[in-house]
Amino acid sequence: MTMRLFIREQLPLILFYAGQMLLVGLWYWLAVENHAWMVVIYGALLSLVMLALYLAYRYYTHRKLYERLEAPLQTMDQSLTRLGEAPMAEAVSEALRNQFQLYKNELYGTQQRLENHTAFINRWIHQMKTPVSVIQLTLQDLDLEDEITDGLQEEIDRLKKGLEMALYTARLDKFEQDFKVEGMPLLETVEKAVAENRQWFIRKGVYPAIEIPPGLSVISDAKWLAFVLGQVIVNAVNYSQGEGKKVTFRAYRMGPHAVLEINDEGIGIVKEDLGRVFDPYFTGNQGRQYHESTGMGLFLVREVCRKLDHKVEIESEPGKGTTVRFTFTTA
Amino acid sequence: MDQVNILIIEDDAKIASLLKTHIQKYGYAAYAVEDFGRVMEEFREVQPQLVLIDVNLPMFDGFYWCRQIRALSTCPILFISARESEMDQVMALENGADDYITKPFHYEVVVAKIRSHLRRAYGSYSAKSEERTVEASGLVLYPERFMLTYGGQSVELTQKESVLVEALIKKADRVVSRGRLLDLMWEDRHFIDDNTLNVYITRIRKKLKELGFEDPVETVRGAGYMLRLEGTE
Repeated sequence: MTMRLFIREQLPLILFYAGQMLLVGLWYWLAVENHAWMVVIYGALLSLVMLALYLAYRYYTHRKLYERLEAPLQTMDQSLTRLGEAPMAEAVSEALRNQFQLYKNELYGTQQRLENHTAFINRWIHQMKTPVSVIQLTLQDLDLEDEITDGLQEEIDRLKKGLEMALYTARLDKFEQDFKVEGMPLLETVEKAVAENRQWFIRKGVYPAIEIPPGLSVISDAKWLAFVLGQVIVNAVNYSQGEGKKVTFRAYRMGPHAVLEINDEGIGIVKEDLGRVFDPYFTGNQGRQYHESTGMGLFLVREVCRKLDHKVEIESEPGKGTTVRFTFTTA
Repeated sequence: MDQVNILIIEDDAKIASLLKTHIQKYGYAAYAVEDFGRVMEEFREVQPQLVLIDVNLPMFDGFYWCRQIRALSTCPILFISARESEMDQVMALENGADDYITKPFHYEVVVAKIRSHLRRAYGSYSAKSEERTVEASGLVLYPERFMLTYGGQSVELTQKESVLVEALIKKADRVVSRGRLLDLMWEDRHFIDDNTLNVYITRIRKKLKELGFEDPVETVRGAGYMLRLEGTE
């Protein structure tokens, strides 16, 4: 296998050598009167043996280089292996090593920057919570008319949701150090998530309907699952069409799995958009009309579900509503 | 115990002062630490019965001070922090804290936790065991006993009715939005819809009538309800 590159590389030499043999043979044939076939063939053979010896030597000293050049690198570290003593082989190993070092330095710098950035975001989010707390407390102290208080409270809730999303996005990179998988009752988990987001239901005049069998337990991480449910709930409520509509939470057992469906009676998602709703920053037509959308919510939902090994699907009929379906492993 | 001292260790001056004023309204003496190099000195001076402490503080963090306080006192220590990860909560409890409240928080939660921890630590006679009352124009609510009195007469309420009446009395003669009432009633996992709220309001109207009122709960269309007490008394 490794011969092919070697032969291609040496082909010009072989061709020139053949041409030279023909030329010398011709010259001998024309110049000497008693020319004999045997002499020509003997000379050619001698010359061929010399060529073969050279090629064998050349191949032997450069074989590692050819191996390296023909097989793709599997790991970065392989670029550090020595390729032989021959000048060309040494020069190539040196070049690879250099490149590897430069690349590694750059990668390290980028990693460092990313880590600084994540640390900054984390700090910043916690810092921003203090002014939000101050506004929250001041609002309670002011005892304003409910109309004003409710309006301001809505903005505070939006700030809190935004900060929460930023925090969880930053945490996603360190997910492996930040989760605890355990069995949890699905009904209580959903009820808690609904209660935590009750303000969104109340403001929109939308009501939850929970149809989850009490004994159903799933394996997940409480914090991340609450975040995921919160994202889906806020979407479902925001896209509901007007007062009195319902968001239905239905769960059932399916073999070793538990399925949770969250269904809204909302504007739905058009078919063209349905395949892209889990893409980052995708807002679709509806999203742009409803100012809440950052396009990150469902992307985060899918990322978290992938890491927690939950399946998440979405179905929708424009004008009728949307269903988000989670599949968990039962505890 | 005549007076309950509460020490607030929080580096954001605004939050510290808001908490301080609010806690004082409930009859506790609250002190906010000003010099974060001298936390223990201030602790010894104030001799608090309860401590509210943040995690992020200048110089040393809240966990450190929590351990220092534990070496001196067994008083309840409640953390109030923006850090909401389980790790921080576990750290706090393992360093000797009794409870953990995350920011942004509501006053009610803080005051309720203060009361419950004081009760547990020092018994019910402490914490100014004077009963809390909510009052407007002679109409008095005892939220701990779900009792409503007016002019020598009294009626018993259910817990939910008591919550509703409290919200209405606090804003007597002003509109309380439906959203606010729904939110208050949705404390536990069971939610209340518009119809259920109407039912509760009807019951309250009936009970107020028993106390001799002429239907003081007004419905304000598209907004909410108003308890009209002007002119009574």
